[in-house]
Amino acid sequence: MTESTLFTAAFAFYIVALVVYFAALFARRERWDRAGLVLAAIGLGFHTAALVFRTGSSGHAPFTNMYESLSFLSWAVVVALLVFGRKSRVARLGPYLMLIVVALVALASSPLMPKDATPLVPALQSYWLWLHVSVTLLGEAFFAVAFVASLLYLAASTEEKKERLDALAYRAVAVGFPLFTLGGLIFGMVWAYRAWGSYWSWDPKEVWSLITWFVFALYLHTRIVMGWKGRRSAWIAIAGFLAALFTYFGVNYLLAGLHSYA
Amino acid sequence: MRSFTKFFSSVRLAIILLILITLASVLGTLIPQGRSAAEYTARYGSLSGFFTTLQLTRLYRSPWYLGLLVLFALNIVVCSLTRIGAKWRKAFGPAEPVDAQSLMTSKVKNRFRLSLALGEAGDRVTRLLRARRYRVSRDGSGGRVFLLARKKRLGGLGSDVVHLGLLVILAGGLISGLAGRRSDLALREGETAAVPGAAFSVRLDKFETEYYPQGGVKDWKSTVSVIENGAAVASRVVEVNHPLTHRGVSFYQTSYGYDWDAPRLGLEVRKRADASFMRPVTLKPGETVAIDDPDLSRISVRGFVPDFVIGEGSQVQSRSNEPRNPAALVEAWKGEERVFAGWVFAKYPDFGEGHTGAGAPSPLAVVLKTYDAAPYSVLQAARDPGANFIWLGSLLVTAGLFLAFYWPPREVRVVLEEAQGRVEVTAAGRAAKGRDAFQAEFDGIFEEVRRAS
Repeated sequence: MTESTLFTAAFAFYIVALVVYFAALFARRERWDRAGLVLAAIGLGFHTAALVFRTGSSGHAPFTNMYESLSFLSWAVVVALLVFGRKSRVARLGPYLMLIVVALVALASSPLMPKDATPLVPALQSYWLWLHVSVTLLGEAFFAVAFVASLLYLAASTEEKKERLDALAYRAVAVGFPLFTLGGLIFGMVWAYRAWGSYWSWDPKEVWSLITWFVFALYLHTRIVMGWKGRRSAWIAIAGFLAALFTYFGVNYLLAGLHSYA
Repeated sequence: MRSFTKFFSSVRLAIILLILITLASVLGTLIPQGRSAAEYTARYGSLSGFFTTLQLTRLYRSPWYLGLLVLFALNIVVCSLTRIGAKWRKAFGPAEPVDAQSLMTSKVKNRFRLSLALGEAGDRVTRLLRARRYRVSRDGSGGRVFLLARKKRLGGLGSDVVHLGLLVILAGGLISGLAGRRSDLALREGETAAVPGAAFSVRLDKFETEYYPQGGVKDWKSTVSVIENGAAVASRVVEVNHPLTHRGVSFYQTSYGYDWDAPRLGLEVRKRADASFMRPVTLKPGETVAIDDPDLSRISVRGFVPDFVIGEGSQVQSRSNEPRNPAALVEAWKGEERVFAGWVFAKYPDFGEGHTGAGAPSPLAVVLKTYDAAPYSVLQAARDPGANFIWLGSLLVTAGLFLAFYWPPREVRVVLEEAQGRVEVTAAGRAAKGRDAFQAEFDGIFEEVRRAS
């Protein structure tokens, strides 16, 4: 089996998981919901194998171009979904989070993303590539959980649901924020210092990751110190995820800078 | 002074500053930074003057952006200082006895009686709390014992550790900005350059570019020696991601190139009429070499480009600094008569046909066989005394985040009072996070206290 076969198998399982999830949602069948989670987990197995194969055949970390990093980000979102498995099931997060996963995998599979494994340019030949990108994307995956929980909060009708979603969003930020700080900002600075000789260059990607960090810092401070919860918290978490998404995507396509890899 | 403290200790100010810094940072990514005035005029027209005046074109170094950061730092300092005392006492301060009734207002609580002596009961509770890694301090007098048990006490100070880390990082940034020095050293093999601001020099012993089989650059390797007082004291290969550091100065592989201004070119000159004639010539652009032959007295190279392309206005240009299409402009004379003039190409030997001064095809054929330019390596020499502060600050931020999110402090307060020959135990607990797990632990402890009586 090759990497693309495994990746396609993962994609197929994710799509089936998505369908089952939404069927569970509309038919109100709790058990199908569990089946969705199991299918997503099987998809994750194939996806992990695909990433391992890719690493083996290319000889470097599987996130050096947009296809690879999209694949890894979608992998990380499924991991986040499984981490919050039971809690997310109660909160009905699965279907919507799976929607994000399928969208990311579809984008990765689209012809827009070149899939060739190219040899690494000298700047990327460092173990910091592993640390910086994987930890950052994992953090962003938890921001995606907070984003979905916050959107559902805004749409929720009962107080009980709202409370649960609000708490879930906070938990996701509590995992994502330290990961993003460590991977995105700190590991990024260490690597930049080694590769470029300067830990901070005010490059657009750097500034946008700082902006993302500020938005989530705002989320935590307004919540913990000023007691904001619910609606306002939800909007800040949504803004934070959108900033993370822009850091990841938008900067590459809209703003030029040093960080022109992926 | 009081109003100063009051102003800077407000969390509201912190929120406002966070929002302002965020918005300013966004602005700085929308307007490209540090470009030329002409580029701004072309891009923004009449707005460009306005942008320049507000320093939006060098925003991250502008006094008002730095001012916001300074205000933010002050805000963090004052906020932390005004709160740290109470937090410290809560985590590490001595036990302050409370009465049993006030404990009963807590959410996590328990009250029961034990058939034990007061001292024995106190010991038992203490022992069971210690078994669960609580640190217990005891305060007792006159038929009453008060226990304060705490664990993961540092967790309550996690946010302060993060804030301290941020201050250290900001200080590091300030030091880098004020005392950091960086300069580029372009060196050819064998060349030595003094390191600006340092008492030593560096010599480039060897420079190699490694390629992948598919063509892309795999690595640049500069073998660098550090020279102190005329003697080499250290030697190392500097690669991207593998800098060399000597006496606080780090050397980074930042760029490379070939000195195409003075390449050594190898030409072969042939006569179209005489297949047996071949004369190799080695020269540099601008040089002329005399040749002892009846049909050819001298040859010269007037110009060289590594990557030949005809640009605008039929001008010969080099598309890049890579030798993708090396070409030399060659002229040859027979006495005062020009017998060859034209561009010759290393990759297309048949393409370079010369013409005579009269415009007729030349009787000579010239081929560019070799082109050797000295490669040079560009090393960045950087002294950044702020960097160590950044790493220290980063360590504090990481540790602080861990403490704040994953080391939630727990506190159990217990009052034991003698009542009708038995001991009445009143206990209350508090946890910053993970209340369900704490409730289970709390119930477990007091279940055990009761069971053994």
